[in-house]
Amino acid sequence: MIDQQAATPVRVPPLPAASRPAANKRRLKRATRLAIALLVILAFVSPIYLTIVNAFKNNSAIDGSPGSLPLHPTLSNLSAALNQPDHVLQLGLRNSLIVVVCSVVLLIPLGSVLSFWISRKRSRSRRAILAALAAGLMIPPQITVLPIIHVLAHIGLDHTYPGLILSNLGGGYLSFAVFVYVGFMRSIPAEVIEAARMDGASSLRIWWKIIMPLVRPATATVGIFLSLWIWNDFLNPLLIIGPLTGQTVTVGLYESVSNQVQPDYGLQFGFMFLAALIPVVAYLLVQKQFRAGLTAGATR
Amino acid sequence: MSLRAHLARRDTGLSAFAGLAMLLYLAFLIVPVLLSLETSFTNQNVLSASSGFVGLANYREMLHDNQLDAALEFTVALAAVVTVVANAAGLAFAILLNRASLSYRVLRTLAFLPQVISGIIVGFVWSWILSPSGLVNNILMKVGLVSQPVNWLGTPHMAMLSVSIVVAWVLTGFTTVVYLAALQNIPRELYDASSIDGANSRQQFRMITFRMVAPATTISVVISLITVLKLYDIITALTGGGPAYATRSVAMYIISVGFSNGAYGYASAIAMLLLALTAVIALTVTTLLRRREVDL
Repeated sequence: MIDQQAATPVRVPPLPAASRPAANKRRLKRATRLAIALLVILAFVSPIYLTIVNAFKNNSAIDGSPGSLPLHPTLSNLSAALNQPDHVLQLGLRNSLIVVVCSVVLLIPLGSVLSFWISRKRSRSRRAILAALAAGLMIPPQITVLPIIHVLAHIGLDHTYPGLILSNLGGGYLSFAVFVYVGFMRSIPAEVIEAARMDGASSLRIWWKIIMPLVRPATATVGIFLSLWIWNDFLNPLLIIGPLTGQTVTVGLYESVSNQVQPDYGLQFGFMFLAALIPVVAYLLVQKQFRAGLTAGATR
Repeated sequence: MSLRAHLARRDTGLSAFAGLAMLLYLAFLIVPVLLSLETSFTNQNVLSASSGFVGLANYREMLHDNQLDAALEFTVALAAVVTVVANAAGLAFAILLNRASLSYRVLRTLAFLPQVISGIIVGFVWSWILSPSGLVNNILMKVGLVSQPVNWLGTPHMAMLSVSIVVAWVLTGFTTVVYLAALQNIPRELYDASSIDGANSRQQFRMITFRMVAPATTISVVISLITVLKLYDIITALTGGGPAYATRSVAMYIISVGFSNGAYGYASAIAMLLLALTAVIALTVTTLLRRREVDL
Protein backbone atom coordinates (compact mmCIF):
# COMPACT_ATOMS: atom_id res chain seq x y z
CA MET A 1 0.00 0.00 0.00
CA ILE A 2 2.66 2.43 1.05
CA ASP A 3 4.96 1.28 -1.75
CA GLN A 4 2.25 1.77 -4.26
CA GLN A 5 1.67 5.30 -3.19
CA ALA A 6 5.35 6.14 -3.42
CA ALA A 7 5.47 4.74 -6.92
CA THR A 8 2.80 7.00 -8.30
CA PRO A 9 4.29 10.08 -9.97
CA VAL A 10 4.17 13.22 -7.90
CA ARG A 11 1.26 15.32 -8.99
CA VAL A 12 0.80 18.94 -8.23
CA PRO A 13 -2.35 19.17 -6.16
CA PRO A 14 -5.06 21.29 -7.81
CA LEU A 15 -5.18 24.84 -6.56
CA PRO A 16 -7.53 25.26 -3.64
CA ALA A 17 -10.58 27.22 -4.61
CA ALA A 18 -9.59 30.21 -2.48
CA SER A 19 -6.24 30.95 -4.15
CA ARG A 20 -7.47 32.11 -7.54
CA PRO A 21 -9.11 35.21 -6.08
CA ALA A 22 -5.95 35.61 -4.01
CA ALA A 23 -3.85 35.59 -7.17
CA ASN A 24 -6.19 38.13 -8.73
CA LYS A 25 -5.93 40.26 -5.64
CA ARG A 26 -2.14 40.12 -5.83
CA ARG A 27 -2.21 41.12 -9.47
CA LEU A 28 -4.53 44.02 -8.71
CA LYS A 29 -2.25 45.11 -5.90
CA ARG A 30 0.73 45.00 -8.24
CA ALA A 31 -1.11 47.04 -10.89
CA THR A 32 -2.19 49.63 -8.32
CA ARG A 33 1.37 49.97 -7.10
CA LEU A 34 2.69 50.51 -10.61
CA ALA A 35 -0.07 53.03 -11.32
CA ILE A 36 0.81 55.00 -8.19
CA ALA A 37 4.52 54.88 -9.02
CA LEU A 38 3.82 56.07 -12.57
CA LEU A 39 1.62 58.95 -11.45
CA VAL A 40 4.00 60.10 -8.72
CA ILE A 41 7.15 59.97 -10.84
CA LEU A 42 5.52 61.51 -13.92
CA ALA A 43 4.24 64.37 -11.78
CA PHE A 44 7.71 64.63 -10.26
CA VAL A 45 9.45 65.00 -13.62
CA SER A 46 6.72 67.15 -15.18
CA PRO A 47 8.90 70.30 -15.08
CA ILE A 48 11.33 68.50 -17.39
CA TYR A 49 8.50 67.37 -19.65
CA LEU A 50 7.34 71.02 -19.81
CA THR A 51 10.84 72.17 -20.81
CA ILE A 52 10.88 69.69 -23.67
CA VAL A 53 7.39 70.24 -25.10
CA ASN A 54 7.44 74.01 -24.82
CA ALA A 55 10.74 74.20 -26.68
CA PHE A 56 8.74 73.17 -29.76
CA LYS A 57 5.76 75.53 -29.39
CA ASN A 58 5.35 79.16 -30.39
CA ASN A 59 4.69 81.78 -27.73
CA SER A 60 0.90 81.77 -28.05
CA ALA A 61 0.79 77.96 -27.65
CA ILE A 62 3.12 78.18 -24.62
CA ASP A 63 0.74 80.71 -23.12
CA GLY A 64 -2.54 79.07 -24.13
CA SER A 65 -1.81 75.37 -23.54
CA PRO A 66 1.42 75.13 -21.54
CA GLY A 67 0.96 71.48 -20.60
CA SER A 68 -0.04 69.98 -23.93
CA LEU A 69 2.14 68.22 -26.46
CA PRO A 70 3.27 70.48 -29.32
CA LEU A 71 0.32 70.11 -31.70
CA HIS A 72 1.97 72.22 -34.39
CA PRO A 73 5.63 71.60 -33.59
CA THR A 74 7.95 74.41 -34.58
CA LEU A 75 11.72 74.66 -34.67
CA SER A 76 11.67 78.46 -34.48
CA ASN A 77 12.60 78.52 -30.77
CA LEU A 78 15.66 76.38 -31.37
CA SER A 79 16.77 78.48 -34.33
CA ALA A 80 16.13 81.68 -32.35
CA ALA A 81 18.34 80.29 -29.57
CA LEU A 82 21.03 79.43 -32.10
CA ASN A 83 20.85 82.84 -33.78
CA GLN A 84 21.45 85.02 -30.75
CA PRO A 85 24.05 87.79 -30.89
CA ASP A 86 27.61 86.45 -30.49
CA HIS A 87 26.30 82.88 -30.81
CA VAL A 88 26.13 82.63 -27.01
CA LEU A 89 24.65 79.13 -27.17
CA GLN A 90 27.07 77.50 -29.61
CA LEU A 91 30.11 79.12 -28.03
CA GLY A 92 28.79 78.22 -24.59
CA LEU A 93 28.35 74.58 -25.56
CA ARG A 94 31.86 74.51 -27.01
CA ASN A 95 33.38 76.17 -23.94
CA SER A 96 31.49 73.88 -21.54
CA LEU A 97 32.61 70.79 -23.45
CA ILE A 98 36.24 71.94 -23.33
CA VAL A 99 36.08 72.69 -19.59
CA VAL A 100 34.32 69.42 -18.72
CA VAL A 101 36.52 67.17 -20.87
CA CYS A 102 39.83 68.76 -19.81
CA SER A 103 38.88 68.87 -16.12
CA VAL A 104 37.54 65.32 -15.90
CA VAL A 105 40.28 63.75 -18.01
CA LEU A 106 42.84 65.29 -15.65
CA LEU A 107 40.88 64.79 -12.41
CA ILE A 108 40.50 61.02 -12.90
CA PRO A 109 44.24 60.20 -12.97
CA LEU A 110 45.07 62.85 -10.34
CA GLY A 111 42.37 61.56 -8.00
CA SER A 112 43.12 57.88 -8.45
CA VAL A 113 46.92 58.24 -8.19
CA LEU A 114 46.49 60.32 -5.06
CA SER A 115 44.13 57.69 -3.63
CA PHE A 116 46.55 54.86 -4.42
CA TRP A 117 49.37 56.83 -2.81
CA ILE A 118 47.22 57.57 0.27
CA SER A 119 46.08 53.97 0.63
CA ARG A 120 49.72 52.85 0.86
CA LYS A 121 50.57 55.31 3.63
CA ARG A 122 50.72 54.45 7.31
CA SER A 123 47.34 54.82 8.96
CA ARG A 124 48.08 57.99 10.90
CA SER A 125 49.28 60.08 7.96
CA ARG A 126 46.55 58.53 5.81
CA ARG A 127 43.92 59.77 8.22
CA ALA A 128 45.45 63.25 8.34
CA ILE A 129 45.51 63.59 4.54
CA LEU A 130 41.95 62.31 4.22
CA ALA A 131 40.75 64.76 6.87
CA ALA A 132 42.34 67.64 4.94
CA LEU A 133 40.65 66.41 1.77
CA ALA A 134 37.27 66.05 3.52
CA ALA A 135 37.33 69.80 4.11
CA GLY A 136 37.15 70.24 0.33
CA LEU A 137 33.73 68.60 0.26
CA MET A 138 32.40 71.02 2.82
CA ILE A 139 33.95 74.37 1.90
CA PRO A 140 31.48 76.51 -0.05
CA PRO A 141 32.91 77.87 -3.33
CA GLN A 142 31.87 81.40 -2.29
CA ILE A 143 34.71 81.27 0.24
CA THR A 144 37.45 80.28 -2.18
CA VAL A 145 36.44 81.93 -5.44
CA LEU A 146 37.74 85.43 -4.63
CA PRO A 147 41.21 84.26 -3.48
CA ILE A 148 41.37 81.76 -6.37
CA ILE A 149 41.12 84.70 -8.77
CA HIS A 150 44.06 86.30 -6.91
CA VAL A 151 46.09 83.07 -7.12
CA LEU A 152 45.30 82.80 -10.84
CA ALA A 153 46.25 86.44 -11.40
CA HIS A 154 49.67 85.66 -9.89
CA ILE A 155 50.35 83.11 -12.60
CA GLY A 156 48.71 85.18 -15.32
CA LEU A 157 45.74 82.86 -15.82
CA ASP A 158 42.88 84.93 -14.37
CA HIS A 159 39.84 85.28 -16.66
CA THR A 160 41.04 82.39 -18.86
CA TYR A 161 39.78 78.89 -19.51
CA PRO A 162 43.11 77.25 -18.54
CA GLY A 163 42.73 79.12 -15.24
CA LEU A 164 39.19 77.80 -14.70
CA ILE A 165 40.27 74.23 -15.55
CA LEU A 166 43.30 74.50 -13.26
CA SER A 167 41.14 75.68 -10.37
CA ASN A 168 38.74 72.77 -11.00
CA LEU A 169 41.63 70.33 -10.50
CA GLY A 170 42.24 71.31 -6.88
CA GLY A 171 39.37 71.68 -4.46
CA GLY A 172 36.10 69.88 -3.91
CA TYR A 173 36.14 67.90 -7.16
CA LEU A 174 39.48 66.31 -6.26
CA SER A 175 38.20 65.51 -2.76
CA PHE A 176 35.14 63.77 -4.18
CA ALA A 177 37.26 61.69 -6.58
CA VAL A 178 39.61 60.65 -3.76
CA PHE A 179 36.78 59.59 -1.47
CA VAL A 180 35.19 57.41 -4.14
CA TYR A 181 38.53 55.85 -5.17
CA VAL A 182 39.81 55.24 -1.63
CA GLY A 183 36.64 53.28 -0.82
CA PHE A 184 37.14 51.05 -3.85
CA MET A 185 40.87 50.57 -3.39
CA ARG A 186 40.40 49.37 0.17
CA SER A 187 38.84 46.19 -1.23
CA ILE A 188 41.82 45.32 -3.47
CA PRO A 189 43.79 42.49 -1.81
CA ALA A 190 47.34 43.48 -0.88
CA GLU A 191 48.68 40.25 -2.45
CA VAL A 192 47.73 41.47 -5.91
CA ILE A 193 49.98 44.50 -5.49
CA GLU A 194 52.76 42.56 -3.74
CA ALA A 195 52.88 40.05 -6.58
CA ALA A 196 53.36 42.84 -9.08
CA ARG A 197 56.09 44.41 -6.95
CA MET A 198 57.98 41.09 -6.99
CA ASP A 199 58.06 41.35 -10.75
CA GLY A 200 59.89 44.65 -10.35
CA ALA A 201 57.13 46.89 -11.65
CA SER A 202 57.23 50.54 -10.60
CA SER A 203 54.36 51.83 -8.46
CA LEU A 204 53.12 54.04 -11.27
CA ARG A 205 53.04 51.02 -13.57
CA ILE A 206 51.14 48.97 -10.96
CA TRP A 207 48.63 51.81 -10.68
CA TRP A 208 48.04 51.92 -14.43
CA LYS A 209 48.16 48.16 -15.20
CA ILE A 210 46.52 46.66 -12.11
CA ILE A 211 44.68 49.25 -10.03
CA MET A 212 42.88 51.21 -12.76
CA PRO A 213 41.24 48.14 -14.36
CA LEU A 214 40.07 46.97 -10.91
CA VAL A 215 38.42 50.27 -9.96
CA ARG A 216 36.53 50.83 -13.21
CA PRO A 217 33.14 51.29 -11.44
CA ALA A 218 34.74 54.02 -9.32
CA THR A 219 36.04 55.72 -12.46
CA ALA A 220 32.52 55.59 -13.91
CA THR A 221 31.02 57.16 -10.78
CA VAL A 222 33.69 59.86 -10.58
CA GLY A 223 33.50 60.63 -14.30
CA ILE A 224 29.71 60.89 -14.39
CA PHE A 225 29.27 63.01 -11.27
CA LEU A 226 32.17 65.35 -11.97
CA SER A 227 31.05 65.88 -15.59
CA LEU A 228 27.57 66.81 -14.42
CA TRP A 229 28.76 69.14 -11.68
CA ILE A 230 31.33 70.90 -13.83
CA TRP A 231 28.90 71.26 -16.75
CA ASN A 232 26.25 72.75 -14.43
CA ASP A 233 28.67 74.89 -12.39
CA PHE A 234 27.54 78.49 -12.34
CA LEU A 235 29.47 80.54 -9.79
CA ASN A 236 33.07 79.60 -10.71
CA PRO A 237 32.82 80.29 -14.46
CA LEU A 238 30.68 83.40 -13.76
CA LEU A 239 33.42 84.97 -11.64
CA ILE A 240 36.64 83.31 -12.82
CA ILE A 241 35.97 83.74 -16.56
CA GLY A 242 34.10 87.01 -16.05
CA PRO A 243 31.94 88.97 -18.47
CA LEU A 244 34.57 89.92 -21.06
CA THR A 245 35.28 86.55 -22.67
CA GLY A 246 32.73 84.05 -23.97
CA GLN A 247 31.06 82.08 -21.20
CA THR A 248 30.10 78.45 -20.53
CA VAL A 249 26.61 77.42 -21.58
CA THR A 250 25.21 77.54 -18.01
CA VAL A 251 26.37 81.13 -17.41
CA GLY A 252 25.50 82.11 -20.98
CA LEU A 253 21.94 80.90 -20.47
CA TYR A 254 21.62 82.88 -17.25
CA GLU A 255 22.95 86.08 -18.78
CA SER A 256 20.89 85.74 -21.92
CA VAL A 257 17.63 85.16 -20.02
CA SER A 258 18.21 87.75 -17.31
CA ASN A 259 19.02 90.36 -19.96
CA GLN A 260 15.59 89.97 -21.56
CA VAL A 261 13.51 93.05 -20.85
CA GLN A 262 10.28 91.33 -21.88
CA PRO A 263 10.46 87.57 -21.21
CA ASP A 264 10.44 85.64 -24.50
CA TYR A 265 9.49 82.21 -23.18
CA GLY A 266 9.80 80.52 -26.56
CA LEU A 267 13.42 81.61 -26.85
CA GLN A 268 14.04 80.64 -23.19
CA PHE A 269 12.70 77.14 -23.68
CA GLY A 270 14.66 76.71 -26.89
CA PHE A 271 17.86 77.77 -25.13
CA MET A 272 17.19 75.61 -22.05
CA PHE A 273 16.35 72.57 -24.18
CA LEU A 274 19.58 72.81 -26.16
CA ALA A 275 21.64 73.58 -23.03
CA ALA A 276 20.30 70.53 -21.19
CA LEU A 277 20.35 68.17 -24.16
CA ILE A 278 23.98 67.03 -23.84
CA PRO A 279 23.95 66.23 -20.08
CA VAL A 280 20.53 64.54 -20.23
CA VAL A 281 21.37 62.37 -23.25
CA ALA A 282 24.77 61.53 -21.76
CA TYR A 283 23.09 60.56 -18.48
CA LEU A 284 20.57 58.32 -20.24
CA LEU A 285 23.38 56.63 -22.19
CA VAL A 286 25.53 55.86 -19.16
CA GLN A 287 22.86 55.40 -16.51
CA LYS A 288 23.60 51.67 -16.24
CA GLN A 289 27.21 52.33 -15.21
CA PHE A 290 25.95 55.14 -13.05
CA ARG A 291 23.70 52.79 -11.09
CA ALA A 292 26.36 50.08 -10.86
CA GLY A 293 28.92 52.55 -9.52
CA LEU A 294 26.51 54.00 -7.03
CA THR A 295 25.35 50.64 -5.71
CA ALA A 296 28.92 49.40 -5.41
CA GLY A 297 29.94 52.62 -3.71
CA ALA A 298 27.15 52.44 -1.15
CA THR A 299 28.27 49.03 0.09
CA ARG A 300 31.66 50.31 1.13
CA MET B 1 71.95 49.76 -3.95
CA SER B 2 70.07 48.81 -0.78
CA LEU B 3 66.64 47.23 -1.09
CA ARG B 4 64.98 50.20 0.56
CA ALA B 5 66.54 52.70 -1.83
CA HIS B 6 65.56 50.45 -4.67
CA LEU B 7 61.93 50.36 -3.52
CA ALA B 8 61.92 54.11 -2.94
CA ARG B 9 63.06 54.68 -6.50
CA ARG B 10 60.19 52.58 -7.77
CA ASP B 11 57.87 54.93 -5.91
CA THR B 12 59.32 58.16 -7.32
CA GLY B 13 56.89 58.43 -10.23
CA LEU B 14 53.86 57.75 -8.07
CA SER B 15 54.96 60.15 -5.33
CA ALA B 16 55.64 62.90 -7.84
CA PHE B 17 52.21 62.49 -9.42
CA ALA B 18 50.47 62.37 -6.02
CA GLY B 19 52.52 65.39 -4.94
CA LEU B 20 51.25 67.30 -7.95
CA ALA B 21 47.65 66.53 -6.94
CA MET B 22 48.33 67.69 -3.39
CA LEU B 23 49.98 70.84 -4.72
CA LEU B 24 46.87 71.67 -6.75
CA TYR B 25 44.69 71.05 -3.70
CA LEU B 26 46.95 73.31 -1.68
CA ALA B 27 46.93 76.08 -4.31
CA PHE B 28 43.20 76.05 -5.06
CA LEU B 29 41.66 75.09 -1.75
CA ILE B 30 43.87 75.38 1.34
CA VAL B 31 45.67 78.59 0.34
CA PRO B 32 42.45 80.34 -0.81
CA VAL B 33 40.79 79.54 2.52
CA LEU B 34 43.80 80.93 4.41
CA LEU B 35 43.88 84.00 2.14
CA SER B 36 40.19 84.53 2.81
CA LEU B 37 40.84 84.26 6.55
CA GLU B 38 43.65 86.83 6.26
CA THR B 39 41.49 89.19 4.18
CA SER B 40 38.74 88.98 6.79
CA PHE B 41 41.00 90.90 9.20
CA THR B 42 41.56 93.75 6.72
CA ASN B 43 39.49 96.54 5.25
CA GLN B 44 40.39 95.52 1.70
CA ASN B 45 38.02 97.24 -0.68
CA VAL B 46 37.89 97.62 -4.43
CA LEU B 47 37.44 101.38 -4.01
CA SER B 48 40.63 102.06 -2.07
CA ALA B 49 44.10 101.11 -3.21
CA SER B 50 45.49 100.73 0.29
CA SER B 51 44.18 98.29 2.80
CA GLY B 52 45.20 97.66 6.35
CA PHE B 53 44.78 95.34 9.27
CA VAL B 54 41.59 96.14 11.16
CA GLY B 55 41.54 93.28 13.64
CA LEU B 56 38.08 92.00 14.43
CA ALA B 57 36.25 95.03 13.05
CA ASN B 58 34.60 93.04 10.24
CA TYR B 59 33.46 90.41 12.70
CA ARG B 60 32.04 93.09 14.97
CA GLU B 61 30.25 94.63 12.00
CA MET B 62 28.47 91.31 11.40
CA LEU B 63 26.80 91.62 14.82
CA HIS B 64 24.87 94.70 13.66
CA ASP B 65 24.13 93.64 10.09
CA ASN B 66 20.38 93.11 9.71
CA GLN B 67 20.74 91.96 6.10
CA LEU B 68 23.14 89.25 7.24
CA ASP B 69 20.73 88.17 9.98
CA ALA B 70 17.94 87.82 7.44
CA ALA B 71 20.15 85.82 5.06
CA LEU B 72 21.36 83.56 7.88
CA GLU B 73 17.86 82.91 9.18
CA PHE B 74 16.54 82.11 5.72
CA THR B 75 19.48 79.86 4.81
CA VAL B 76 19.38 77.79 8.01
CA ALA B 77 15.58 77.43 7.90
CA LEU B 78 15.74 76.45 4.22
CA ALA B 79 18.44 73.86 4.94
CA ALA B 80 16.40 72.33 7.77
CA VAL B 81 13.08 72.22 5.92
CA VAL B 82 14.51 71.03 2.62
CA THR B 83 16.64 68.32 4.25
CA VAL B 84 13.66 66.85 6.09
CA VAL B 85 11.31 67.01 3.09
CA ALA B 86 13.82 65.75 0.53
CA ASN B 87 14.92 62.83 2.69
CA ALA B 88 11.39 61.76 3.59
CA ALA B 89 10.31 62.02 -0.06
CA GLY B 90 13.49 60.31 -1.27
CA LEU B 91 13.00 57.34 1.05
CA ALA B 92 9.32 57.08 0.07
CA PHE B 93 10.20 57.23 -3.65
CA ALA B 94 12.95 54.65 -3.20
CA ILE B 95 10.60 52.20 -1.46
CA LEU B 96 7.98 52.77 -4.15
CA LEU B 97 10.47 52.21 -6.98
CA ASN B 98 12.43 49.31 -5.50
CA ARG B 99 11.07 46.66 -7.88
CA ALA B 100 12.97 44.74 -10.53
CA SER B 101 10.71 45.05 -13.60
CA LEU B 102 11.51 47.22 -16.61
CA SER B 103 8.81 49.82 -15.88
CA TYR B 104 10.30 50.49 -12.47
CA ARG B 105 13.79 50.66 -13.96
CA VAL B 106 12.61 53.37 -16.35
CA LEU B 107 10.96 55.29 -13.50
CA ARG B 108 14.14 55.05 -11.43
CA THR B 109 16.11 56.52 -14.32
CA LEU B 110 13.62 59.41 -14.57
CA ALA B 111 13.66 60.15 -10.84
CA PHE B 112 17.28 61.36 -10.96
CA LEU B 113 16.67 63.82 -13.81
CA PRO B 114 16.22 66.94 -11.59
CA GLN B 115 19.87 66.44 -10.60
CA VAL B 116 21.05 66.26 -14.20
CA ILE B 117 19.87 69.68 -15.33
CA SER B 118 21.60 72.81 -14.04
CA GLY B 119 20.26 74.84 -11.13
CA ILE B 120 19.91 77.79 -13.51
CA ILE B 121 17.51 75.86 -15.75
CA VAL B 122 15.64 74.55 -12.70
CA GLY B 123 15.21 78.11 -11.43
CA PHE B 124 14.00 79.52 -14.76
CA VAL B 125 11.57 76.67 -15.49
CA TRP B 126 10.03 76.88 -12.04
CA SER B 127 9.78 80.67 -12.13
CA TRP B 128 7.72 80.22 -15.30
CA ILE B 129 5.62 77.42 -13.76
CA LEU B 130 4.93 79.52 -10.64
CA SER B 131 4.35 82.87 -12.40
CA PRO B 132 0.91 84.52 -11.95
CA SER B 133 -0.25 83.25 -15.35
CA GLY B 134 1.79 80.07 -15.02
CA LEU B 135 0.81 76.44 -15.00
CA VAL B 136 0.26 75.99 -11.26
CA ASN B 137 -2.14 78.94 -11.06
CA ASN B 138 -3.79 77.76 -14.26
CA ILE B 139 -4.54 74.38 -12.73
CA LEU B 140 -5.56 75.75 -9.33
CA MET B 141 -8.04 78.15 -10.95
CA LYS B 142 -9.47 75.54 -13.31
CA VAL B 143 -10.06 73.14 -10.42
CA GLY B 144 -11.60 76.04 -8.52
CA LEU B 145 -9.30 75.90 -5.50
CA VAL B 146 -8.51 79.61 -5.85
CA SER B 147 -10.31 82.45 -7.59
CA GLN B 148 -7.31 84.78 -7.85
CA PRO B 149 -3.89 83.66 -9.09
CA VAL B 150 -1.55 82.93 -6.19
CA ASN B 151 1.49 85.20 -6.16
CA TRP B 152 3.98 82.37 -5.58
CA LEU B 153 7.12 84.45 -6.04
CA GLY B 154 5.78 87.94 -5.32
CA THR B 155 5.46 88.12 -1.52
CA PRO B 156 8.27 87.32 0.92
CA HIS B 157 6.52 84.41 2.63
CA MET B 158 5.21 82.79 -0.54
CA ALA B 159 8.61 83.19 -2.20
CA MET B 160 10.30 81.45 0.73
CA LEU B 161 7.80 78.60 0.45
CA SER B 162 8.32 78.37 -3.32
CA VAL B 163 12.11 78.27 -2.99
CA SER B 164 11.77 75.46 -0.42
CA ILE B 165 9.56 73.45 -2.76
CA VAL B 166 11.89 73.85 -5.72
CA VAL B 167 15.09 73.05 -3.81
CA ALA B 168 13.42 70.03 -2.18
CA TRP B 169 12.38 68.90 -5.67
CA VAL B 170 15.97 68.99 -6.92
CA LEU B 171 17.41 67.27 -3.86
CA THR B 172 14.78 64.53 -3.90
CA GLY B 173 16.29 63.31 -7.17
CA PHE B 174 19.57 62.82 -5.31
CA THR B 175 18.17 61.31 -2.09
CA THR B 176 16.01 58.84 -4.04
CA VAL B 177 19.07 57.40 -5.74
CA VAL B 178 21.03 57.19 -2.48
CA TYR B 179 18.17 55.38 -0.69
CA LEU B 180 17.58 53.08 -3.68
CA ALA B 181 21.22 51.99 -3.57
CA ALA B 182 20.84 51.32 0.16
CA LEU B 183 17.58 49.37 -0.27
CA GLN B 184 19.12 47.18 -2.93
CA ASN B 185 21.80 46.14 -0.45
CA ILE B 186 19.33 44.87 2.15
CA PRO B 187 19.39 41.04 2.04
CA ARG B 188 16.08 39.65 0.77
CA GLU B 189 16.19 36.97 3.51
CA LEU B 190 15.54 39.54 6.23
CA TYR B 191 12.11 40.26 4.75
CA ASP B 192 11.38 36.58 4.05
CA ALA B 193 12.26 35.59 7.60
CA SER B 194 10.13 38.33 9.12
CA SER B 195 7.17 37.41 6.87
CA ILE B 196 7.36 33.87 8.20
CA ASP B 197 7.34 35.34 11.69
CA GLY B 198 4.13 37.11 10.74
CA ALA B 199 5.38 40.70 10.54
CA ASN B 200 3.19 43.06 8.51
CA SER B 201 4.64 45.57 6.09
CA ARG B 202 4.55 48.45 8.56
CA GLN B 203 6.51 46.40 11.09
CA GLN B 204 8.92 45.36 8.35
CA PHE B 205 9.50 49.00 7.47
CA ARG B 206 10.21 49.95 11.07
CA MET B 207 12.29 46.92 12.04
CA ILE B 208 14.22 46.25 8.81
CA THR B 209 14.10 49.01 6.17
CA PHE B 210 14.43 51.98 8.47
CA ARG B 211 17.36 50.44 10.35
CA MET B 212 19.17 49.13 7.31
CA VAL B 213 19.13 52.47 5.51
CA ALA B 214 20.52 54.33 8.56
CA PRO B 215 24.07 54.69 7.10
CA ALA B 216 22.60 55.97 3.83
CA THR B 217 20.44 58.39 5.82
CA THR B 218 23.55 59.83 7.46
CA ILE B 219 25.24 60.46 4.09
CA SER B 220 22.08 61.75 2.46
CA VAL B 221 21.13 64.14 5.28
CA VAL B 222 24.64 65.59 5.63
CA ILE B 223 25.07 66.11 1.88
CA SER B 224 21.60 67.70 1.70
CA LEU B 225 22.49 70.12 4.49
CA ILE B 226 25.84 71.10 2.97
CA THR B 227 24.26 71.54 -0.46
CA VAL B 228 21.56 73.90 0.80
CA LEU B 229 23.88 75.87 3.08
CA LYS B 230 26.00 76.88 0.07
CA LEU B 231 23.09 77.19 -2.37
CA TYR B 232 23.44 79.91 -4.96
CA ASP B 233 22.40 79.09 -8.52
CA ILE B 234 18.79 77.85 -8.12
CA ILE B 235 17.71 80.87 -6.04
CA THR B 236 19.57 83.28 -8.31
CA ALA B 237 17.54 82.09 -11.30
CA LEU B 238 14.26 81.57 -9.42
CA THR B 239 13.85 84.77 -7.38
CA GLY B 240 17.18 86.57 -7.59
CA GLY B 241 16.99 86.68 -3.79
CA GLY B 242 13.80 88.75 -3.76
CA PRO B 243 11.27 90.05 -3.12
CA ALA B 244 12.85 92.52 -0.69
CA TYR B 245 15.82 90.14 -0.20
CA ALA B 246 13.52 87.67 1.55
CA THR B 247 15.03 84.66 -0.24
CA ARG B 248 18.67 85.75 -0.31
CA SER B 249 21.00 83.01 0.91
CA VAL B 250 24.23 83.71 2.81
CA ALA B 251 26.15 82.54 -0.26
CA MET B 252 24.36 85.18 -2.36
CA TYR B 253 24.99 87.84 0.26
CA ILE B 254 28.74 87.08 0.26
CA ILE B 255 28.94 87.50 -3.51
CA SER B 256 26.84 90.65 -3.38
CA VAL B 257 29.02 92.25 -0.68
CA GLY B 258 32.30 91.10 -2.24
CA PHE B 259 31.64 91.58 -5.93
CA SER B 260 28.85 94.10 -6.30
CA ASN B 261 29.96 96.34 -3.41
CA GLY B 262 33.65 95.41 -3.61
CA ALA B 263 34.03 95.09 0.16
CA TYR B 264 36.43 92.12 0.07
CA GLY B 265 37.37 92.33 3.73
CA TYR B 266 33.82 92.20 5.01
CA ALA B 267 32.77 89.56 2.43
CA SER B 268 35.66 87.35 3.60
CA ALA B 269 34.54 87.66 7.21
CA ILE B 270 31.01 86.52 6.26
CA ALA B 271 32.57 83.71 4.23
CA MET B 272 34.43 82.55 7.36
CA LEU B 273 31.16 82.61 9.27
CA LEU B 274 29.49 80.46 6.58
CA LEU B 275 32.43 78.05 6.66
CA ALA B 276 32.26 77.74 10.46
CA LEU B 277 28.49 77.33 10.34
CA THR B 278 28.69 74.61 7.67
CA ALA B 279 31.46 72.78 9.52
CA VAL B 280 29.66 72.87 12.88
CA ILE B 281 26.33 71.75 11.43
CA ALA B 282 27.89 69.02 9.26
CA LEU B 283 30.06 67.63 12.06
CA THR B 284 27.31 67.76 14.69
CA VAL B 285 24.75 66.10 12.46
CA THR B 286 27.25 63.45 11.33
CA THR B 287 28.13 62.61 14.94
CA LEU B 288 24.49 62.44 16.00
CA LEU B 289 23.43 60.30 13.05
CA ARG B 290 26.42 57.95 13.42
CA ARG B 291 25.44 57.41 17.04
CA ARG B 292 21.89 56.75 15.87
CA GLU B 293 23.14 54.11 13.39
CA VAL B 294 24.56 52.19 16.37
CA ASP B 295 21.51 52.69 18.60
CA LEU B 296 18.93 51.58 16.06
